[in-house]
Amino acid sequence: MKKHAASARRVIFFLVLWFVLSEGEALLVGAAAVPAASWLSLRLLPATRPIHLLPLLAMTPNFLWRSLLGGLDVGRRALDPRMPINPGWIRLPVDLPDGGRVALGGELSLMPGTLAAGTDRGRLLVHVLDKDQDHARMIRIEERRLGSVSG
Amino acid sequence: MADVVTYFMTALGLGFYLAGTVAVIRFPDTYSRLHALTKADNVGLGFLIVGIAFQADSWMVVARLALVWGLALMAAGITAQLIARTALQRQSP
Repeated sequence: MKKHAASARRVIFFLVLWFVLSEGEALLVGAAAVPAASWLSLRLLPATRPIHLLPLLAMTPNFLWRSLLGGLDVGRRALDPRMPINPGWIRLPVDLPDGGRVALGGELSLMPGTLAAGTDRGRLLVHVLDKDQDHARMIRIEERRLGSVSG
Repeated sequence: MADVVTYFMTALGLGFYLAGTVAVIRFPDTYSRLHALTKADNVGLGFLIVGIAFQADSWMVVARLALVWGLALMAAGITAQLIARTALQRQSP
């Protein structure tokens, strides 16, 4: 029963996506594309843990703000004649399932000063633009937020 | 009024693209350059989209623009990780 609910959620997601993209036109194409996309998506990414919309919405404003800061930060470093960067690596254990880890990595890559480069024996590899900043604390906070979105 | 916002926002967006491009040229290694490509271009596209949204004649168009940005954002976050990981595995500087 739980599996049906997960499939239904996936279908609804692609249905909304199609509707926004097509403005309700080309219904015949949508009638084929939506089930096909849902099937492929469930195959490639089986629904194990549902995504909770409210925590996701709750973290959106902070995400937008911090990704704006991320763009400003890297732009400032690039345009500054002295180019103040001090790149290095940090690695830290992450307590998220595989999908969550990819999401965290993607998010970190848009946040100020961090870039995820996969995992090494369960530890997230993060490239940082400035070694002297305390990124680990920020990553912990983002990890906790993402943990509440899925589960 | 809407035109003024569009001019301002798209100009701002192009500024971010410019900064990102400068970073790709100036930064010393693949990973540092990736920082610039993902972050600056994501913000640049965001401002560009907000600017264009002020020319939209229906909310549906705004929703579609927002969707474009959201999908580009996800793609950027995932691609950056893939490129960084591949560069690491191949030991490229």
